[in-house]
Amino acid sequence: MTVVDVAGARTRTDRLERIWAHRPGVTGWLTTTDHKRIGLLYLFTTLAFFVAGGVEALLIRTQLAAPNGTVLSPSSYNAVMTMHGVTMIFLFVIPMTTGAFGNYLVPLMIGARDMAFPRMNALSYWLFLASGCFLYAGLFAGSGPNAGWFDYVPLALRQYDPGANIDVYALGLIFNGMSSTAAAINFITTIFKLRAPGMSMNRMPLFCFAILAVSFSLLFALPPLTINCVFLELQRQIGFHFFDVAHGGDPLLWQYLFWIFGHPEVYIIVLPAFGIATSIIPTFAQRRMVAFPLVAIAELLVAFIGFGVFAHHMFATGLSTITLIFFAAASMLVVIPSTIQVFAWLFTVTGGRPDFKAPLLFIGGFIVFFVAGGLSGIMFAAIPFDQALTDTYFVVAHFHFIIFGAAVFPLLGGLYYWFPKVTGRMYHEGWAQASFWVTFVGTALTFFPMHIVGLLGMTRRVYTYGPGLGWSGYNLAETVGAFVLAAGLLLIAANLALSRFRGEPADADPFFGGTLEWTVPSPPPPYNFAVVPLVTSPYPNWDRADREADALRLARGDLVLDEGHETPSSTVRDARLDEILEMPSDSPWPLAVAACVALVFVMLLTRHAVVAGLAAGLTAIALCGWHLQEPEET
Amino acid sequence: MSELALPQARAGRPSGWWGTALFLATEVTLFGTLFGTFAYLRFKAVHWPPPGIPEPEVLSPVVLTCALALTSVPVQAALVSARAGRARRAVAALVLALVVQSGYLAAQLVLYARDVDRVEPHRTAYGSIVVTMLGVHAAHVAVGILLELWLAVRLAQGLTRYRVVGLASTALYWHVVNALAVLVLLVELSPRL
Repeated sequence: MTVVDVAGARTRTDRLERIWAHRPGVTGWLTTTDHKRIGLLYLFTTLAFFVAGGVEALLIRTQLAAPNGTVLSPSSYNAVMTMHGVTMIFLFVIPMTTGAFGNYLVPLMIGARDMAFPRMNALSYWLFLASGCFLYAGLFAGSGPNAGWFDYVPLALRQYDPGANIDVYALGLIFNGMSSTAAAINFITTIFKLRAPGMSMNRMPLFCFAILAVSFSLLFALPPLTINCVFLELQRQIGFHFFDVAHGGDPLLWQYLFWIFGHPEVYIIVLPAFGIATSIIPTFAQRRMVAFPLVAIAELLVAFIGFGVFAHHMFATGLSTITLIFFAAASMLVVIPSTIQVFAWLFTVTGGRPDFKAPLLFIGGFIVFFVAGGLSGIMFAAIPFDQALTDTYFVVAHFHFIIFGAAVFPLLGGLYYWFPKVTGRMYHEGWAQASFWVTFVGTALTFFPMHIVGLLGMTRRVYTYGPGLGWSGYNLAETVGAFVLAAGLLLIAANLALSRFRGEPADADPFFGGTLEWTVPSPPPPYNFAVVPLVTSPYPNWDRADREADALRLARGDLVLDEGHETPSSTVRDARLDEILEMPSDSPWPLAVAACVALVFVMLLTRHAVVAGLAAGLTAIALCGWHLQEPEET
Repeated sequence: MSELALPQARAGRPSGWWGTALFLATEVTLFGTLFGTFAYLRFKAVHWPPPGIPEPEVLSPVVLTCALALTSVPVQAALVSARAGRARRAVAALVLALVVQSGYLAAQLVLYARDVDRVEPHRTAYGSIVVTMLGVHAAHVAVGILLELWLAVRLAQGLTRYRVVGLASTALYWHVVNALAVLVLLVELSPRL
């Protein structure tokens, strides 16, 4: 009997293998719509940009290592510093968390075979790649953005910055925003519509809640940035007036619109880190998350309240007192959902049997930096404190504790945690733990002294400083720290690169994780799940009876969906099975559309409006080609 | 296992509808930003519109916007017909909507060219925000027309579920564009209030 069952299951997986097979070679990668391959493309591209942003950081730190540094000229310092910020935020953290981790993991965690819009998913990637190349082409052509990552007017207006630098910035960010918007729409629809039967909202993994919150934030935060950049380009290129007082504009308008985007952006950066923490902690503590529903709600609340605190970036701009007090209060309010999560993480660790392997160590580092950075953050909600320290290195210290310590540490832990799943091999645990300590010490040494030099009065963005101010020792320590940090990151890269080829083989579930990605083989097959899983709790991989029932259904051929390129769709709240969807497979059109859009932006930058219009027409034609390919009717 | 039984008919809305609704949510935010900027600049200004610039004209934008808003009716009718399996009727309704919408866009562009001279965006922030807002709105209408044109051609070749979902998404798009058109009109005319 069992022999017959195994043979039946084998026939079905063989058929799925044939149906979902990738095209071979480079064409396969260029036309892929497989969320795992797109996730990997995102991963390697964002890592390349991370290297670029890291080199820029080291250049900055080398320049500032001692007084009167001459490594960079003032103008190249401005460009390097601006590109460091733009790269780390728009080309590394957002695409890494959503594009790489989100793409690879969300469908696997919810029991789907792909994203809701696989071709649009590919389009997001190609748009992202092209926008990154656009920004860096500007830098290498000597026209890199150079007015800081938040690009304040009037400095960014044509009178004061006459080159193409700021046009590269404004058009590049509009371009990049298109990619993020498409990705956000895709994630929300995937999470709403493609969850496995039984995975009602209250059983959805907390990582997916975090990605859901981030996606909603992106949808509502990006339009103000886009419009702001449109205003800036209209003013710079064709002489409209939005930001100059002489013609009825207002420079503060830029700051309002920028920070309406910019503060939610902070949570967009840090929320996926929360999601990764809530994935790693239960696995290594071997227990469910404490206060699961509260943590889910807290993730959504952080994103929501994040829209109401933006003016705390503008406390020193002369806003009315009532405005200051409102935003100071809102900034304190956001502490509540953040703290709920901190305590939930800690209680889950202490209430379980924690095994401090490398991924959990990185989460430990994350909690340390998040609490430290959060405490300096709450200090800024005190208006007089903010007004005294605004634009000093204290701010730089605060947001690097959050953006590097809190947002990137879980990413690094996540790289280790899901490495066996993606590659089918184990990383080296000893070196991984060593890399954690080097990275942790490097991070603390780089960013902690910045608090002190900030309090001593060192302003941010200065390209150099004089001797005898009492800053030199701290700055040297920061620079040493930056190189230690870089060494830690190189250790991680070397560990993963070597383990990819020489690591011990990993089975489907090396850590006994709770979520659905651990139920499939490592690396996952192109169709993800041989049989559509039925979910009855938030940790389905710990429900052994359910998984055995799945295996029996595979042998029986019950809901295997091996007739075509199919995935189930379910209802939004309760995840009741609703219909079977025929999904698109490989397509050249996403790449073609992205190429046309890139042409539009290059032509706008070089002021060829007519050609840009023609390229927009080409985009429309490519979209027609895209939609000629329809799913087969059943 | 009742959880694994497929229902007779789909209970929820299709993914395509959700994708469009979310896209429109971000578009509405975009317009919200434009309206917010208009209000912000207005409250910073002493004179609105600034001296030397006439108050906005009322009659022709009101008539045009009413005509555009009414096209929600044939668009919805096209969707109802397509769902009932009547492809030809759906195409006819779409063509009717297309004629009115294209007329609107043409008239709007003529007015727009005149407005650019009248509100002087190169001299005033008022002119800049008005011209930008109307330009973005016109671009929305143009995209909607292209979507409908494509759907009319495809539906004339036959009905498929993919095309019906496309039509449902386009109908939703037009309802939102038409609602935004009314808001754009109110903001445009607000200096007269």
